[in-house]
Amino acid sequence: MADPAHFALRKMLLDEITPVVMVLPTPLVEQRCQKNGLSFVQMLTPFCVFNNIDVPVRTASDQPYRLQKFKLRMFYGSDIRQPNIEVTKERLEQVIADAGNKEDSDLYLDPSPIEAMSTSSEPEFVPTWFQYFNKELVRSVSFSDHEAFDHPVACLLVVSSNDEDPINKFVNFFNTNQLPPLLNDGAMDPKIPKYFILVHDNQDGSPKRATKILAEMRNTFGSNDCRLLCINSSQDRLADHEPNPWAPYGSNASPGQHLGCLLNNEDMDELKAFVRDLLSKDIIPNMEQRIRVLNQQVSATRKGFRNQIKNLWWRKGKEDTPEVQSVNMYTFNSIESQIRVLGDYAFMLRDYELALSNYRLLSTDYKLDKAWKRYAGVQEMMGLTYFMLNQSKKDAEYCMENAFSTYLRIGTSGKGNATRCGLWWVEMLKTSGQYKDAAGVYFRISGEEPLHSAVMLEQASYCYLLSKPSMLRKYGFHLILSGDLYKKCDQIKHAIRAYRNALSVFKGTTWSHIHDHVHFQIGKWYAFLGRFDVAMKHMLEILACSHQSKAMQELFMKDFFQILQKTGKTYNISRLQLPIVNISSLSIVSEDHRTYGSPAAVSVKESVWQSLEEDMVPSLSNAKTTWLDLQSKLLPTKLKQSNVCVAGEALKVEISFRNPLQLSIPIYNVTLMCEYSANETLPDANSSSSVIEGDEDGKIATGRVSNSDTSFFTSSEVDITLAGGETTVAQLSVIPRKEGILRVTGVRWKLSDSMVGFYTFDSDFITKRISKQKRKAKQNTNKLDFLVIKSLPRLEGVINNLPSTVYAGNLQPLSLELRNSSEIPVKNLKMKISHPRFLNIGNPEVLDVNFPSCLEKKQPCDKGADFEATKQSETIFRFPKDTIINKETPFFLPLWFRSVTPGNVSLYLTVYYENEDKSTAMRYRTLRTHHILEVLPSLDVSFFISPCSSRLQEYVVRMDVINRTSLRNFKLHQLSSVGNEWQISLIESINHIFPSGNLVPGQALSCFLKLKNVKTTETKTDVWLGDDSSEAVFDTQRAPLVNFHHYERLHQKTSHQENQRTVDFMLISRMEESENVPSDLPTPPQIFSHHACHCSVSTKRPIWWLLDSPQVNHCNFSNSFCETKLKMTIHNSSSFVASVRINTFDAPPGGSPSGNKLGWHDMATLPMDDTSGTSTRKPVSLESVPPFIWSGSSTTRVKLEPNSTAEVSLLVTTFAPGTYDLSNYTLNWSLLDSNDSREKEGVCYGRPFYLTILREE
Amino acid sequence: MASTACFMIVSRNDIPIYEAEVGTAPKKEEAAHQHQFILHAALDVVQDLAWTTSAMFLKSIDRFNDLVVSVYVTAGHILLDFLIALHTRLMLLHDSRNDDGIKSFFQEILLNPIYLPGSRVTSSHFDTKIRALARSYRYPCGYAEVYGVFVFWLRPSA
Repeated sequence: MADPAHFALRKMLLDEITPVVMVLPTPLVEQRCQKNGLSFVQMLTPFCVFNNIDVPVRTASDQPYRLQKFKLRMFYGSDIRQPNIEVTKERLEQVIADAGNKEDSDLYLDPSPIEAMSTSSEPEFVPTWFQYFNKELVRSVSFSDHEAFDHPVACLLVVSSNDEDPINKFVNFFNTNQLPPLLNDGAMDPKIPKYFILVHDNQDGSPKRATKILAEMRNTFGSNDCRLLCINSSQDRLADHEPNPWAPYGSNASPGQHLGCLLNNEDMDELKAFVRDLLSKDIIPNMEQRIRVLNQQVSATRKGFRNQIKNLWWRKGKEDTPEVQSVNMYTFNSIESQIRVLGDYAFMLRDYELALSNYRLLSTDYKLDKAWKRYAGVQEMMGLTYFMLNQSKKDAEYCMENAFSTYLRIGTSGKGNATRCGLWWVEMLKTSGQYKDAAGVYFRISGEEPLHSAVMLEQASYCYLLSKPSMLRKYGFHLILSGDLYKKCDQIKHAIRAYRNALSVFKGTTWSHIHDHVHFQIGKWYAFLGRFDVAMKHMLEILACSHQSKAMQELFMKDFFQILQKTGKTYNISRLQLPIVNISSLSIVSEDHRTYGSPAAVSVKESVWQSLEEDMVPSLSNAKTTWLDLQSKLLPTKLKQSNVCVAGEALKVEISFRNPLQLSIPIYNVTLMCEYSANETLPDANSSSSVIEGDEDGKIATGRVSNSDTSFFTSSEVDITLAGGETTVAQLSVIPRKEGILRVTGVRWKLSDSMVGFYTFDSDFITKRISKQKRKAKQNTNKLDFLVIKSLPRLEGVINNLPSTVYAGNLQPLSLELRNSSEIPVKNLKMKISHPRFLNIGNPEVLDVNFPSCLEKKQPCDKGADFEATKQSETIFRFPKDTIINKETPFFLPLWFRSVTPGNVSLYLTVYYENEDKSTAMRYRTLRTHHILEVLPSLDVSFFISPCSSRLQEYVVRMDVINRTSLRNFKLHQLSSVGNEWQISLIESINHIFPSGNLVPGQALSCFLKLKNVKTTETKTDVWLGDDSSEAVFDTQRAPLVNFHHYERLHQKTSHQENQRTVDFMLISRMEESENVPSDLPTPPQIFSHHACHCSVSTKRPIWWLLDSPQVNHCNFSNSFCETKLKMTIHNSSSFVASVRINTFDAPPGGSPSGNKLGWHDMATLPMDDTSGTSTRKPVSLESVPPFIWSGSSTTRVKLEPNSTAEVSLLVTTFAPGTYDLSNYTLNWSLLDSNDSREKEGVCYGRPFYLTILREE
Repeated sequence: MASTACFMIVSRNDIPIYEAEVGTAPKKEEAAHQHQFILHAALDVVQDLAWTTSAMFLKSIDRFNDLVVSVYVTAGHILLDFLIALHTRLMLLHDSRNDDGIKSFFQEILLNPIYLPGSRVTSSHFDTKIRALARSYRYPCGYAEVYGVFVFWLRPSA
């Protein structure tokens, strides 16, 4: 037999399954013993454990062996009963609660790392109270009637020497009802050996009376069974025992009392000897004897083939009446009970072979009887016996499983036994290292009782941890299950312990729901215990729970804020997850010499500004090369190498926050964190003057930033409410107050009053807006460091009344307002506008223009001056030399605005200025403003010019106007030709063709005008189109109209139109005021100007001709024909000498020359025709037109000098009266000396000319 | 009859890359983390079994109360073509009622090139397909088209 104590289960079994001795004392005995703070049983208990008793025993088959270690269990008769369930439950709860409180201290420490746990071989981290708890659980089902090892093997009757009539007392013990129910109801053999003990207290006097009583007893009960026990020999209560043998047992003693204080060493020796004698001389021999007797009985009745058959047959018969199976079916003298007693006795005396054979025998019987509880009990014992025999592990496990499931099957009455059986089974599995299976068994033990289940599940989790390889996830999961159950039973501390241990598995897990659940529960429980600081640590973990449902997020947030409030502390959390800072969105705008008028201007590319300012600002490279230059001295290298900002001017930072939740969360006091240092060198991270960097855990004190440094800089604070899932850009600014170095370290916000989140910027991640040259120079410097230089004047500019939406062509007077907030005046201002088509600078001296009357034509008009001025400042506008802008006196510059083309337009405007103070590092600055306009379409104007066929040097102009707006009416005002070269006039009165005078949305208007080229100074260049002729005509030769026209001309210019004769038109109209606008505030009239430039008057051919004759000719036809003289005037408008050949065709009349051609013909000639010619070449029907012939030469050639006119005479002969179309002629022209091959020669076809011949009466 | 089912794809470093509750039972708040716990714990068993079996489909390897875990372990060399990385585990938590068709459910999913290595599967199209498949495996046979691949299945007869 291997060393039985080696395994936990062996030790446990040898402790638990040992003979029970029933003790029946008188009250006086108890009283005497209590002097020592001990009960009688407690007094004896330490001496019931024998480590080297060395008792010889014989097995049933006379095999001798010796027992070395042994133990007796002593119980009062009143305790030998099934423990009360309620009492047991309470006691177990107490055990758990005590254990929970004991661990209080280390509950708040960080859980030890899991690696350390799993490597340590033996479970020192497994709470020790588990053993105790398990023992209590096992004991809760002791003294069951279905098993015999709890049945007392002996009975001690104890009477004090002070008792009156002690003999009677002994006798009375058995007459009264003090005996345990097991004995009374027949489950146990009442005829157990009895021992009569007389206890004498030496303090009561000499033991004389005692010896007398003993003698009397011996006479009555027989000499062998009577003992005398003297106690309390120590007189002075000073008996000291080191170590105190009662310490583990004296539970009910008051703490101050010294256990066993009256028992001196002699007493102890006596007690020891007494128990030893009792065991070795009486109990063990008795049990041995009993085994022999029972074994013989069993052999006689059950062993052997005949008995087997008989037994089987007999049991078969019983099967018909299973209801008889009552409690008393197996009384102590039934053969089954006797076998069980035999087995248990053999087990207790460690004759496992004998025990096993009897259990086997019994197990079949019970199975046949369907006595399941007894069957399970026997199976359980079989399993244990197998285990003790260290034989077939498989059989042992099978029996245990069988017993376990059988216990479970019989319902509530078997539950306790099932638990005990399970615990033994678990120990068995643990012994063989099957931790995984053990965990499974633990899991099965956990039943409905939540508290027990919690403990079992926790034990299961440790089994998973101990299994090889360790199953950490299972460990975690079972801890969580156990924790939940602890919580259910209000064992918060245990729950926290379980969860905290689980946390070592789940720390940093990506399984989001697990992560949230664990942290949320722990946080909540810590808060319940009042440990808000620890609770907060866990609650912070669940803030970014974007994967949770909205309801859960609300719950999380509610609890989070509740706990935060109760904490009463202020938290500073680095990289707080609520809201999430989108660091890539960070943009910092610092203004050095470049200042921006609006945020929109900041976002414009630097290159745009640079190209705009190119000519205006002093070149940086130039400044460097000339060493004498003051500027290069004043711009030290550090200025060029680091970001510069000016004291008193805001450093603007934009950063976006994302709300990961579905709830809307407000954040307060969003502000920048900055560091300031007055010296030139940047502060180190560890220097005392700098603000502390955020450490990894995230709790730092940032009090200095906001409070003490206000004199150096001021940070703006904004409050934002982030809707669920929203990303919001926060615009923050910091204003440095003093020269030095400012570093932007991060952003800070308040989630609530006591929850402050901050985010420290890492300069590596920041893409910042810096100019290209600068970026090269400062690779190694921190982009978040700013050199603060002395306060400088800074202009702020705004264009007053600039509309955001405007109709195309609208002309408005505006003003640019420049303000200087600093004491130092600025001078030497220059300005440049990116789109002079849109914005024009007015006369700086005339501020209050009376619009629109200032546009009207005045007599005498002084033209030229304005125009000249604008022409010079085409690129850069220089303010008048004496312009100095001081504080409190804003400077106004009139501007003219005209929207040109529909669409979105970006206007850039940059103002250059220098400050008077020469000591500052920056001499000049620029103000950049950016304006975005939306221009809507208004009127579309187009012109078609065709030469007048009836006049030389005159043109017919068709003007098409369409109102493209959707709502607004337009009133046409005037049409002007710009310049004084062209005179225009209406062909027809405008009142006829356009009586209403209002162009409603979508309406189109065409009108024809006559255009005449004149060279006089007083040319009528304007045509009044309005209905009310009383209004004044606008002067198109004055600013701003002429200026805008100038830029329009530049814009509309195309290269090949240069050498052609062109005319420019300007249509001025007025928008009707809409009805929606309240009329009480006087709005200035909406004046529109539309420009059409470079309208070419020259046609493709340089040759003009005119056929002239009387239209009607009267003839008497006396000569049977009539001759009509025609005069053709030919004009050469080109600058070359032209040769013109006139061809006339007689037949067929009306047919065009090209019409004669058959088959292939030259297509290239067709485009040479102009539009007016096409209609005339329609074939005229032969029937309607009588023939006529051209008389005279059919070909005439003339040569024309440049810009000269020639006349050619032609003759037509008709033969009958009628109307004739004299269009069948061509003019072939060619330019001599012309280089342009395209316009070198061409053919013109005759225009219709109708001649009517009437017969003269 | 309401059924419970939770489908997850877990990458080789135990990071869940796709997760869907595909059961028909009404959703409970605590179910989400409970299912994660069960599936997470079942990974231990998967790990254990991986040493002893070469089978890819591990049916009912773990159970908690009436919930059963079935797992399909991918083997890298076979499924590399389908872009599912080595030792990705497809886990389905289901109640024991619908034992059949689970394997085919897995296989259908496997036949679909869905995985962008290392990242979470966020495609809503994939999501709807999974849910549709989860509904459809109640039928003995059928076909589905996922990502251009037609998938046929036959439920093994009981």
